[in-house]
Amino acid sequence: MSAIHPLIADQVSRSFGATAAVEAASLTLEPGEITALIGHSGSGKTTFLRLLAGMERPDRGQILSGDTVLASDTQHVPIEKRNIGLVFQDFALFPHMTALENVMFGLRGTAKPDRMKIAEKWLDRLGLTSRRDAYPHHLSGGEQQRTAIARALAPNPVAILLDEPFSGLDPSMRDRVREAALSAVRDAGMPALLVTHDASEALVHADSIAVIDRGKILQTGTPDALYHQPQRVEVAKALGPVHSIDLESLPGQWRAAIGSTTGTVHYRPEAIQLGTGEPVMVRGSKLAGAVTEVALALDETNTVYAACQPGAPLLPGDQIQATINPSLVFDFTPKMT
Amino acid sequence: MPRFTPSLSAIPPSLIIGLVGLPVCIALYAGLVGGDGATWDHILQNRLMPYTLTTLLTLFIAAVIMLGLAVPAAWIVTQYEFPGRNVFSWALILPLAMPGYVMAYAWADLMGVSGPLQSQIRDVTGLSARDYWFPNLFSTPGLAFVLASTLFPYVYITARAAFSMQTRATLEAARSLGASPLDLFWRVALPVALPAILGGLCLALMEAAADYGAADFLGVQTLGVGIVRSWTSFGEPNTAARLALMLVCIAFVFLIVARLYQGKSGVQQTSTRWLTPERSALSPSMAWLATLLCATILLLCFVAPIARLMWLAVETEARTTDLLPLLRSTLLLGLFGTALALCAALVFTLAAKRSRALRMGTRLIAAAGYAAPGAVLGLGALFFLRETGQPLAGIVAVALLVWVYVSRFTSAGVEPMQATLDRLPKNLDLAAQSLGSRGLRQFWQVDLPLILPGALAAGLILFVEILKELPATLMLRPFGWDTLAVKAHAYATDERLAQATLPSLMIVLAGLFPVLLLSWRLNQGERK
Repeated sequence: MSAIHPLIADQVSRSFGATAAVEAASLTLEPGEITALIGHSGSGKTTFLRLLAGMERPDRGQILSGDTVLASDTQHVPIEKRNIGLVFQDFALFPHMTALENVMFGLRGTAKPDRMKIAEKWLDRLGLTSRRDAYPHHLSGGEQQRTAIARALAPNPVAILLDEPFSGLDPSMRDRVREAALSAVRDAGMPALLVTHDASEALVHADSIAVIDRGKILQTGTPDALYHQPQRVEVAKALGPVHSIDLESLPGQWRAAIGSTTGTVHYRPEAIQLGTGEPVMVRGSKLAGAVTEVALALDETNTVYAACQPGAPLLPGDQIQATINPSLVFDFTPKMT
Repeated sequence: MPRFTPSLSAIPPSLIIGLVGLPVCIALYAGLVGGDGATWDHILQNRLMPYTLTTLLTLFIAAVIMLGLAVPAAWIVTQYEFPGRNVFSWALILPLAMPGYVMAYAWADLMGVSGPLQSQIRDVTGLSARDYWFPNLFSTPGLAFVLASTLFPYVYITARAAFSMQTRATLEAARSLGASPLDLFWRVALPVALPAILGGLCLALMEAAADYGAADFLGVQTLGVGIVRSWTSFGEPNTAARLALMLVCIAFVFLIVARLYQGKSGVQQTSTRWLTPERSALSPSMAWLATLLCATILLLCFVAPIARLMWLAVETEARTTDLLPLLRSTLLLGLFGTALALCAALVFTLAAKRSRALRMGTRLIAAAGYAAPGAVLGLGALFFLRETGQPLAGIVAVALLVWVYVSRFTSAGVEPMQATLDRLPKNLDLAAQSLGSRGLRQFWQVDLPLILPGALAAGLILFVEILKELPATLMLRPFGWDTLAVKAHAYATDERLAQATLPSLMIVLAGLFPVLLLSWRLNQGERK
């Protein structure tokens, strides 16, 4: 097994015509870690993955595997020479090959029995031993996706890039396939990039998260750091719902808890906690799965939105009390220093 | 099992099924049980075996040439960016406008001893005509080349569609696993596209098997030639029927194989993103090589033959003296045939919508007509005439000929109409019926207006097909009813090529319209 290096993007830019798809993006994928890249469609996340894979050439910047330059102003190692594993949303299995043949496709340089053994090992690792001779159209969606992951991992790539790998799957099987697939990826020990638009997937499964918006990587860090200490409103929004409010309209006790008195702040709905504290009036509520979303009137014109555990029904007009948790309130106004 | 419910509305389609199916059935019946005339031994030894072997050899060589022309062209046109790609992408379909016999006349002149190619060789080398070897077009490989060069677009169209439907992700996945561009073609793209390519090849071979004009002109003894000669020259109707049976069998095998492959277009059905692969740039030298390849194919299969025919027409100031009566009979036969075949196709299409049993019947019969070569249908009609004791003359012959046209081309008319209907929402009928529109009223208010664009396309295709038809017209036309195709063939076989050019060019010009229509529809389809 070759030594495992991080995969590094250093100030990488790529434009299509006048539009900058990726702008001065830097990201280091550490070996053995799953880094999630999140952003909405059109944010540049797929282009960034394509740059790393070698399907696109950067206009500026460098892509490195350890010390090896994969792409720079002067150099471009083509996709077929990079040995980077790719997994696509639509699986992209070769329809004319069995699961085993698909996994064997990228193996070369050894005798056929050896290649077969390696491929079988990977199919086994992903729980597909009994499906090795099935063609893609006989495999379920989850089986196809696991075959695609086995195929990408089998040649022992220097990194693996997964482009929305689970969003094409039925929700009922998504969790199981994701668990099996990501544990295989993590065990394989190479750097892994998980491109997704699903914030909860990134929060639960990634070791670190990078948020991309309009081609720029805005913030990188652990899921916890990004969720609780976003540096920009776009980052906060990318990881979950946030609302904004003028501090002046908040009750004095809440302002005291937050520690500043003027300007606009953003808060996550779970920052508002019902029970004790300032009096507020219920405007409306609706059950949204595991939480109840409640609109609370502070006065005639100002409303805050809370997410709380479902309990006794809250009816419009009910008078209740609420406090605010300052650790989930973010102040993005530029600080004068 | 579809339940058969007898109803009055089933009568017209059933009658038309009978009308369309009868000629091929008569020919097959005569081939199976016809017992008079020459002995079976004689037919087998002297006719059936040699004609069949020549036909199969022609088809084999044509298949190799068509694959060699069409598959690489389709691959580079879908995968790479190079100068002229946009034009070649559709222009490579143009050779379909040339009937095989016209292609044969043009190449015979280009390659003849006094033609431009050989003259050039002699000018450059100073040799005389006896001192060097030059390929002979009047041979089985020559016929195969001529047929392949007009029919390869069938393969090109299906290969292009199959290559462009492969998901970008599949090809990129292969590259990320270390596949070189050549690997990509041989290990991924070609195997995936192979069923579609073979389907297209079978259709092209079916058309090639139906050829009569090119083979007769080039003196190659194929089954098509054999059928016509056995009837007209040897006076052996029995032999003709046996040859027809063999030819229909060959054509049917190709049709069945093509239909089998049609279902599996070779494209993965699990993909959610059916992106056309993004075309990659080529290095300048490779890009020009790609341009050169496409340009050479287009030159050989379309530009050079057309240019030669035009040059011949102008240079020799060829005057086809009796052009007016020719145009009149071509137009009349074409209009009669188109009108009747269009009606038959309309009834087929609408009947297929209403009843499953009728759909099966109409499909089968239409396919039979489609696969049966004109020579076979002409023979069937002649047998029919012999039974009735009527002479082959006057209005009877014209009616017989129009009947054969209907039998041969109705299926070509059904397809565009069916395609129009397939694009409509499935519940449209129910919607019309829920609003009180039924029967004839539904036909006038709903079905007919909807089907009209498809019917117009069908009419155009039918008219041109009839205009190009040669063997059946040759066998059945009454005195004074020569068509452009018949006259061109008569001049060409008489070694008066110059006079054949004008009717030939008119046929090609007419043939361009449906080909351009097809090209336009294919582009529309790809853009979706």
